[in-house]
Amino acid sequence: MTIETAAPTAAPTGTLGDRGANRAVTGAAVRLVRRGTTVMVLLAGGLPAFVAVEYRDTFAGAIGVDSLAGLAENPAIRTLFGRPVALDDPGGFTVWRTGTVLAVLVGTWAVLTATRLTRGEEEAGRWELLLSGRVHLRFLVANALAVVLLATAVAGAAVTAGLLLAGTEVIGALLFGALVGGTGMVGATLGAIAAQLLPERRAASGLGMAVLLAGLLVRMVADGLPALGWAQWLTPFGLITRAEPYAADRWSPLVVLGVAVAVLAPVAAALAGRRDVGAGLIGGREVHRSGTRLLGSLPAFAARRARRPLAGWGLGVGLYFLLIGTLASTMIDFLRDNPAFAQLAAAAGFSRLASVQGYVAALFSLLAIPVGAFAASRLAAVAAEESAGRLTLLLSLPVARARWAATEAAATAGGCVVLAVVAGLTTWAGAVAVDAPLAVGEALAGALAVVPVALVCLGAALAALGWVPQAVLALGILPAAGGYLLLVFADSFRWPGWVRGLSPFAHLAAVPAEPMDLAGAVGMIAVALLLAAAGLARYNRRDLRG
Amino acid sequence: MSTQNVATGVPAVRTEGLTKRFQTTLAVANLSLAVPPGEVFGFLGPNGAGKSTTIRLLLGLLRPTGGTAEIFGVPVADVEQAHRHLAYVPADVSLWPGMTGRQCLELLAGVGPGTDLAYRDELMGRFDLEPDRRARTYSTGNRQKVALVAAFATRAPLLVLDEPTSGLDPLMEREFRRCIGEAAERGQTVFLSSHQLAEVEAVCSRVGILRAGRLVAVAGLEELRRLRRSEMTVELTRPAPELRRLADLPGVADLRWHSDLRLTLSLVGPPGAVLASLADADVARLDVREPSLEGIFLDYYGADAA
Repeated sequence: MTIETAAPTAAPTGTLGDRGANRAVTGAAVRLVRRGTTVMVLLAGGLPAFVAVEYRDTFAGAIGVDSLAGLAENPAIRTLFGRPVALDDPGGFTVWRTGTVLAVLVGTWAVLTATRLTRGEEEAGRWELLLSGRVHLRFLVANALAVVLLATAVAGAAVTAGLLLAGTEVIGALLFGALVGGTGMVGATLGAIAAQLLPERRAASGLGMAVLLAGLLVRMVADGLPALGWAQWLTPFGLITRAEPYAADRWSPLVVLGVAVAVLAPVAAALAGRRDVGAGLIGGREVHRSGTRLLGSLPAFAARRARRPLAGWGLGVGLYFLLIGTLASTMIDFLRDNPAFAQLAAAAGFSRLASVQGYVAALFSLLAIPVGAFAASRLAAVAAEESAGRLTLLLSLPVARARWAATEAAATAGGCVVLAVVAGLTTWAGAVAVDAPLAVGEALAGALAVVPVALVCLGAALAALGWVPQAVLALGILPAAGGYLLLVFADSFRWPGWVRGLSPFAHLAAVPAEPMDLAGAVGMIAVALLLAAAGLARYNRRDLRG
Repeated sequence: MSTQNVATGVPAVRTEGLTKRFQTTLAVANLSLAVPPGEVFGFLGPNGAGKSTTIRLLLGLLRPTGGTAEIFGVPVADVEQAHRHLAYVPADVSLWPGMTGRQCLELLAGVGPGTDLAYRDELMGRFDLEPDRRARTYSTGNRQKVALVAAFATRAPLLVLDEPTSGLDPLMEREFRRCIGEAAERGQTVFLSSHQLAEVEAVCSRVGILRAGRLVAVAGLEELRRLRRSEMTVELTRPAPELRRLADLPGVADLRWHSDLRLTLSLVGPPGAVLASLADADVARLDVREPSLEGIFLDYYGADAA
């Protein structure tokens, strides 16, 4: 990259011309997504292919389609994975089992990558040098977005490639891969737009994620209430449901997805042209009479840092579980009106579904994932402060590193409990609104029962902070997200008990339908404490980065 | 506690064989140093000599590969104790971008070892700080001012300053030197890392010179000057061939005759022998120039490094 002050004449020989400069900028952006894209290709290619092969090898013959349908109608699984179609086909089964997970995974990754490549680079001051050259902010944003779009397309192609290698039908594999890639593209444009609106990467990531995951919520509402079925057209997740890969193979939802990307992507670049470098289009006044509350001590500061993210996560979790609560009586009525199905479900091991308590217990187990993700993201923020050099001043005060990290972890643990309480109360409020028989104590007990899983996430994140501070987020989410997948696979494919036991979810009882698994909770807390202690000890001893 | 240590003569900073290795590079090698309380110590070296690494070792932000370091007798690993005695200004100040300068100062005072709030308000005025702007909008110099105000306002017995004026304008730099002077008067110890030689010359009483991770000299400024060569110019009223013997005198180097009537030489050590030889000649003009710190510095890095 050269920096030229001369009038815009032809580039002298020996320097990079416009095209060369642009190529250098693109090359830098590609280097920033290379590793993430590799991981994503492996996951997006491997996960569905693995499920399709496992299905054919162990599942298809052994278990009847009837009991599969019974499993699929488990409301927890249906809410998470969407409406099942074509369960008798390896591809159809794979789409149902992995579709939502993959779309959320690729979409989330795309949002985070887009904000990192745009606002993150800008915030770190790395764009100022480039912008002093011949490139315009609009070009940098458009360029970064194009690179992320390409990366998500590669991830989508990996899905198709994996499913083709696994021997599923060509049309379905193509359609499903395109839908997953398209969801990622929508996520990337959302991230890039959020990065133009807000002046901080973390806030922009939060906004992008909130919009993307609100789409998931809309899909669930649309699935739950037939009158709102049209809302599926408003969200990538709903469009995947509409397209029915390996069954109806509809292409029109894919076209809608493409149009959305084609409209949103230029918006990001256009917004970039309307703002100052370093600033956002919205976002607080730069000069203001500042309040000094919650700055007097380390715990107060930790609470201050946690309060805004906690409000965001609380809003999301609250809305989701309010929806769960209001669906309770629909579910119960459905089971009452369809005794045959209730028997089927009971035969498949879901006997408790017929009660509100069983229903909410199944859904509360999902709560561990957002609460665990909250814990991991808060500790990832601690790691980010370190690499940005922001801890140098704080740690030159009489503050041991372990004390600072432990204070943050304690505030985060408190936040996890708050999130669980929010989920319990909103579920209860939703259930009460539709006259479903659920006591507030039951709802709270069910929600709080999953907190130990989030604490394991917190422990894993602290261990990562000690040994691999670059991977705090990934390793912190692993016990919740990975553990959930592990349990689903272990149950679906009858894996040995010890493999299943590795998942924290194997040690959760269906509270409030069952009494709490005390031994499991104590075990998880013990694991969390061990991981935390080891991580803090190591964090205290290693070199500070940044 | 610190006043006790001042009384009993425990060094404000002491390192013994301090060593830090990053993978293959040796950043700090076997560094032994003691800074007595009340001293304004200049820590000199070019970029990459290991100044910041040494300071990060003193603050316990990095763990030494070998050797020990103490702050007022407290091992640096015990940061909860050691940091009660110090305040620090990093070379590259990063603040929380969404917080205002005032909020950053409030946090540092709230968590820190104790801050003189009245003095802090005075310092904010003297450094002309706009405290109600978000840190995101601050320039490098403004961020440095926040850290300087926070550090001076603690009145900690030891100030560790890592190139603290690199972003300041000349007016603010003058204010900074004044603050150092006031701190020294109050008996605070200052450990000032810098490559701004004029600044070090103005405020420091003793300097350590670091080269490629090794401490190549520690001495008072006066002593350094004495140890290093002075430039002597002699002008004669008539030729004095016998002065050619000057070259044989101890400590004389670079004897050069620019004409029959003008010679220059550089001298290390006391000038007595040279002056005695000159006594017999007809000297019209004698000019002895003390080496500047810059000369000394270049001496260590220029000739020795080659």
